[in-house]
Amino acid sequence: MVDFLQMVLSGIAVGSSYALMGLGMVLIYKASEVPNFVQGEMALLPVFIAFMLLSTYGVPYYIAFPATLIFALILGCVLEFVILRRAKDPNILGLIIITIGMEMMLLGLVSWKFGADQRAMPFPISSYDSIIIGDIFISTLDLLTLVVALVIMVSLFLFFRFSKMGVAMKATQQNENAAALMGIKTKQIRMVTWGISSMVGSVAGLLMAPVLVEPYMMWDPMLKGFAGAVVGGMTSLPGAVFGAYIIGIVEHLFGGYVSIEFKSVVAFAIIVLVLCIKPSGLFARHYVKKV
Amino acid sequence: MKKLFLCVLAVMTVAVFGLTFNAAAEEGVTDTEIHVGQWGPQTGPAAPWGAVARGTDAYFKMINAEGGIHGRKLIHHYFDDAYNPAKTKAGVKQLQEDIGMFAWVSGVGTAPGLAVKDYLMEKKIPWIGPSAGSRHWIQPPNKYLFNTYPLYLGDAQLLCKYAVETLGFKRIAIAYQNDDYGKQGLEGAQKQLAKSDLKLVAEIPVNVADTDMKPHIMKFRQAKAEAVLLFVGPAHVARLQGTGKAMQFEPQWMSTTTCGDHPLMMAITKGLYAGTISASFGMMDPKKIGIGNKEDSMNPSLPLLAKYKKDAYDKFAAKEERWGMTFNAGIGFIEPFVEALKRCGPDLTREKLVAELEKIQDFQGIMGTVSFKPFDPKDPLCRIGQQEVFLVRAEADGTSTVLTDWYTTEFIPMEH
Repeated sequence: MVDFLQMVLSGIAVGSSYALMGLGMVLIYKASEVPNFVQGEMALLPVFIAFMLLSTYGVPYYIAFPATLIFALILGCVLEFVILRRAKDPNILGLIIITIGMEMMLLGLVSWKFGADQRAMPFPISSYDSIIIGDIFISTLDLLTLVVALVIMVSLFLFFRFSKMGVAMKATQQNENAAALMGIKTKQIRMVTWGISSMVGSVAGLLMAPVLVEPYMMWDPMLKGFAGAVVGGMTSLPGAVFGAYIIGIVEHLFGGYVSIEFKSVVAFAIIVLVLCIKPSGLFARHYVKKV
Repeated sequence: MKKLFLCVLAVMTVAVFGLTFNAAAEEGVTDTEIHVGQWGPQTGPAAPWGAVARGTDAYFKMINAEGGIHGRKLIHHYFDDAYNPAKTKAGVKQLQEDIGMFAWVSGVGTAPGLAVKDYLMEKKIPWIGPSAGSRHWIQPPNKYLFNTYPLYLGDAQLLCKYAVETLGFKRIAIAYQNDDYGKQGLEGAQKQLAKSDLKLVAEIPVNVADTDMKPHIMKFRQAKAEAVLLFVGPAHVARLQGTGKAMQFEPQWMSTTTCGDHPLMMAITKGLYAGTISASFGMMDPKKIGIGNKEDSMNPSLPLLAKYKKDAYDKFAAKEERWGMTFNAGIGFIEPFVEALKRCGPDLTREKLVAELEKIQDFQGIMGTVSFKPFDPKDPLCRIGQQEVFLVRAEADGTSTVLTDWYTTEFIPMEH
């Protein structure tokens, strides 16, 4: 029983990182209707910027982290404005290829600028400390990730529900033409959505960085976040979070009781299963266009 | 007009004869140059190992600065294959067929190496010092392929022997990368422990893409492992040790030659690597240092390595290049090649190179002793090169304490 609880708790802990990545992907999918494969690298570059500020320039945490998130916000906006918006009448496949291209560009930039060596990023709390409840452990970093993920989820909920910008985003996501007719600057809204998405992903990146910083560090979390978003529904923010936690928990239970060798692929088996049963995902509403 | 025509004819004749002469000479060798090829990941997940090729490059530049070999400069052609076997194959074929390499040296990784092994062997092109301790390089042996990296099987043997006989552990587990590297470590550990009537208490595979190590640590905890062998890359060692610490599981960690760069490992594990025992293939001489004494890899005690630091690294490495085991390995793996080139004399041919390599006995560079034998298709040991390794313990200050003398490992043949 202790092992089971430990696996579930560990699954929730790792699911928090996936959830943050999944949230970022869903935000962009809702705004631009494209699965964003540059999500991981939109977090990677800010993480390396944070690493540089902390390690090379000795900037204190309370300046380095906010500066990193502002950089992430600007990065997301720039990618949308400079690259994505320039695509002329792109179809979904074209948009996907653009995001893959951006992913390669950012990954190449990080590898070129910072090198391929693995590093450990300084962080205010130790990634090796843990809290013990009975016989169950949770690392303080995992606990922090869980709390931060919950805070971001609630903040996003409140933002979309009560802020003028959030409501404008929702309106743009639901019907861009109608939103434009209502005076909403839909292009700006889409750009800011990319910025917010980049910021959310970067929070996940910063919380993973204390363990190890390397150019490929965001690839696995991005895929798992994507898997979570697909399971929950690509248009549902709570769905992405719920899906990510499902992925995290099932991965751990599968690794513990069935096969650790195939733990990594179980996320994708879940995708297939969910898509067969409910193609729009567990939480997304399935709209049928009527003529 | 007639004179001009005769002059042109004479020049053309000389050129044609000249070309014919060159074509008859050994591929990749001119009067002033020896062209040598190498691949290595400069990008991608295995990019930290790109330092091997850069180490070789600095080494060749040092040799050239000292006058080359019998008046010829070593022209080093290395390319980034991103640890992608398809890219390795394409790059090797392109360099071989467009420019023509005399020989290939090092080359990081088992999978990229396997992608080009048959091509090079069919063309009878010598390949010396693959940068991976895989049994595939010597079983079956190939006339033109000379291994210098001690096999991973041997690391596992010595680590298990030390854990059981010196540390008195009975419950030994392994985290192994789910590929040729990890599986050879697993096999070596199983065979060695069987000699003491022991079995691994947990055999946990780690996929290259895995980032979450909690399930792995849970398995080790459940198995009550006293020592855990780490046949994984540096990043996974950092993740396993970090997760282990957070889950209050702190066994005796034991790693392989691939994680023998102690200053690097100390940095990426934030000091958790201290106390880890790792196998080593050289860069120091345990005999001269003495068991229980320390070596600081930043100030090498080995005179030859100190020379390489001064004459190759300081002069020819890029400013941001880190002095460390990976960079040095790019030199150590191919020292026997350079030695054989010197022994060949000015009339250099591939067959002569092979013959000189086969004569190498107890060659001592910055690694362990290297020996080859005349080619025997039934004897993998004729191409094994180095069979000895020793153990060191990582210390908190980044130095390494010598734990054993050189130990000659046993070759375990592949079961068909």
